[in-house]
Amino acid sequence: MKKLITLAILALMPMGLAHAEAIPGKPAPAFEVKDANGKTRTLSENKGKWVVLEWFNKDCPYVKKHYDSNNMQGLQKNYTGKGVIWYTVVSSAKGKQGHQSPADTLKTATEKKAAASAILLDESGVMGKAYGAKTTPHMYVIDPSGNVVYAGGIDNNDSSDPKVIPASTNYVSAALDAGMANKKIEVSSARPYGCSVKYQ
Amino acid sequence: MRKMLRLVSVFALVFMTFQVSFASETLKGPHIQIDWLAPQIFAENSETVIGIRFRPDPHWHVYWKNPGDSGSAPKFQIKSKNAEVGEILWPYPARLPIAHLTNFGYEGDVAYLLKVKTGMAASLKMEVNLEWLVCQEECVPGFGVLSLSRDIKGTETVFAKEIQSKLNSFENKIPSAGLDSPYRLAVSELPEGGLKVFVSSKANLPSEVDLFPVDPEYVQPAQPKITKTDSGFEVAFQKSATAQKPASLGFLLVADKKAYKFSGLQIGALTATTEPVSFAVLAVILGSALLGGMLLNLMPCVFPVISIKAVSLLKNENAQERRKDGWLYAAGVLTTFAGLGAGFLILRSLGASVGWGFQLQSPLVVFGLIVLFWMMALNFLGVFEFGTAIMNSTGRIRWQGSFATGVLSVFIAAPCTGPFMGTALGATATMPGWQAMLVFIFLGMGLALPYLALTLSQKLAQKMPKPGAWMETVKQFFAFPLFATVLWLLWVLGLQTGSQGWLATGAALLILSFALWLGHGRKSLWKVIAWILAISALTYSGKQVQTAEASAEVSSNSAWTSYDENKLQSALQSGQPVFIDFTAAWCITCQVNKKAVLETATADEIFKKGNILRMRADWTKQDPAITAALSKLGRNSVPVYAFYSGKDAKTRLLPQILTIDMIHDLIPLKEEK
Repeated sequence: MKKLITLAILALMPMGLAHAEAIPGKPAPAFEVKDANGKTRTLSENKGKWVVLEWFNKDCPYVKKHYDSNNMQGLQKNYTGKGVIWYTVVSSAKGKQGHQSPADTLKTATEKKAAASAILLDESGVMGKAYGAKTTPHMYVIDPSGNVVYAGGIDNNDSSDPKVIPASTNYVSAALDAGMANKKIEVSSARPYGCSVKYQ
Repeated sequence: MRKMLRLVSVFALVFMTFQVSFASETLKGPHIQIDWLAPQIFAENSETVIGIRFRPDPHWHVYWKNPGDSGSAPKFQIKSKNAEVGEILWPYPARLPIAHLTNFGYEGDVAYLLKVKTGMAASLKMEVNLEWLVCQEECVPGFGVLSLSRDIKGTETVFAKEIQSKLNSFENKIPSAGLDSPYRLAVSELPEGGLKVFVSSKANLPSEVDLFPVDPEYVQPAQPKITKTDSGFEVAFQKSATAQKPASLGFLLVADKKAYKFSGLQIGALTATTEPVSFAVLAVILGSALLGGMLLNLMPCVFPVISIKAVSLLKNENAQERRKDGWLYAAGVLTTFAGLGAGFLILRSLGASVGWGFQLQSPLVVFGLIVLFWMMALNFLGVFEFGTAIMNSTGRIRWQGSFATGVLSVFIAAPCTGPFMGTALGATATMPGWQAMLVFIFLGMGLALPYLALTLSQKLAQKMPKPGAWMETVKQFFAFPLFATVLWLLWVLGLQTGSQGWLATGAALLILSFALWLGHGRKSLWKVIAWILAISALTYSGKQVQTAEASAEVSSNSAWTSYDENKLQSALQSGQPVFIDFTAAWCITCQVNKKAVLETATADEIFKKGNILRMRADWTKQDPAITAALSKLGRNSVPVYAFYSGKDAKTRLLPQILTIDMIHDLIPLKEEK
């Protein structure tokens, strides 16, 4: 049955109808996207490493909640320091909120003091749709063997008020800490919250 | 550049909204205005519904409790002096498609409502700390404190007319309790990964329905596929591949511009993937199917028919013909069981919730059986002779008669689920098709065996009394159990269709009898008239029965509440034991148990002493919720008697033939640690 579903999805892929989803416990969808420096990034090149994907839109209040409070940058610094690959993904289509040229993207990253490994520009939305990314932020954690181990919201409080962050449970760091210590990951999915991803 | 400017202005506004911290009776944020729908004066000791109104700009929206794929519901922190404030009441939302995502919310004005209880204090003060999100495609959050201060005096709550009518319009959109509505929902998982909710109604079906999942994670917000069938609506949702399957689900049903909230819905597994059972288990199940089928012969539904058949057999001295007769009868039984089995499997694959006896849940089938039994009874009494007999009234064996008797036996056996059958039938719900079919075939073999043995074995036949004039007497005597059956089926039909259907059927029987008398031994003109009379009576009454509305609810005696998943769960949570009687009017075994055991004074005393909540799940008419509850217990036939001790999650199923001792035994069971 599962095989059939995958086959069906693969069959639909070229038609651009795929509403796939990254599912905890299953291999993460492959991607091949240029980053803001023009370098092509793939999932497969990071085999053997922990990978975090973070969907981003600079103008979304919920993204601001986690950047203005330095929460997101703190996570990026902490985990890239431990060898984790952290990709910030922008799936805003051309002409939609949050879409920027590569140069402006780099400027934004500098302004925000972002510490991600790279910022991927997915303006076609192919990667976003393959992962089923719905909101900004929408977070995915992928283990060294390429399986999704967490998919969903960054934490358990969907308020846009940064003041709630200290008291929230951060699912991304919980998944990474447990996973990297070879412990069981307690929460592997939660409701993603935030603004909708601005697909075409 | 212009875009930049607009963004800058949005930022400035966002920045400003973060600053709103002084309290006022109205709030303004970017793209939104917020105010109260409240009275000018509250009456003392009164309960009033008031509203917090959000007015977004055109094409902007705010959110429902479950915002859907993205977005966020407003948050309310309420502090009040001199008043008790209830929970937020959420008007039912609309589906808002945003690119390929779906949100639940309100485009245009909306008011979130609250119940306010006042006492004897002179004034009411309230502060609501608000957080909201207003979106078009972009989103702007806002914060603020909305305050309200009003006098409390007199006995009259005073509203400005316009505010009152606005409030009423939103109050009409607040969902009422689903269980008080005529609608019922049954949730099942589809084998291909979706989720299907079946909406049925005890009254008229609305022209269209919509459903909103209350749960934000498991059920996908995307527009479900809604199909209307004769019996209700099938609403197929996609479900999340990532979220954990919750213990139960909640839905908001919108029908005829009214909303109803259903919660605690279990996900039935009637259409879940089937699992083959091991050979040993299958052998046991097939054994009980065979045994159950044999016992069916002794049940009040089948016994008269089989007896008549056996008696008429005696007249025939020719062993070969008798064998042929027996085999034909068996073929009739098996074909019908195979047909029923196939029908059941097809319905199951379509995701319909059906169970054994499902044919009797259709008033039209009951009507057909009533007419059939009536004719048979008249025939037994010698009022007329069948031209091409269904029964062998004349003693000459008619092959199609034997086959037809076989078919008939299976049909009328349905109301009598006997011992050993429940397990076998229940197992068919989750077995793969071929195994389920085997069970049906074995049931059929069991039913056919006794009669077949009689026709095949000379020894047995010799034990039977010699034919003679007494046979006519016996035949006439058997007309009376048939009349009794007619009476009982009329009662079933009355429960299904109300007195209208009952009357129509009675009239049909009257006209049929008259037509028989009219056409009996007269000229062919009268015969033609008789035929026309009979056929038009049947078609007219059949139509009546089909369209008749059930106005009569099954009278539930006050000690028994009707089945309700919520009540069950809350009773169990509080540790109260629960006894559920799964029953149907057309199920004779159920009626016998009810009268002989469950509704006796002794049983009543035991139930009272043990503080046992008594529930009756009535399956007389198709009710997906009850079908789902049955399938959770691994059954798809009635009677089923389930007892929850309240001490643990274990369910005990009682035998299908109850004795008062079994009810007695429930009490020590309760006291076990």
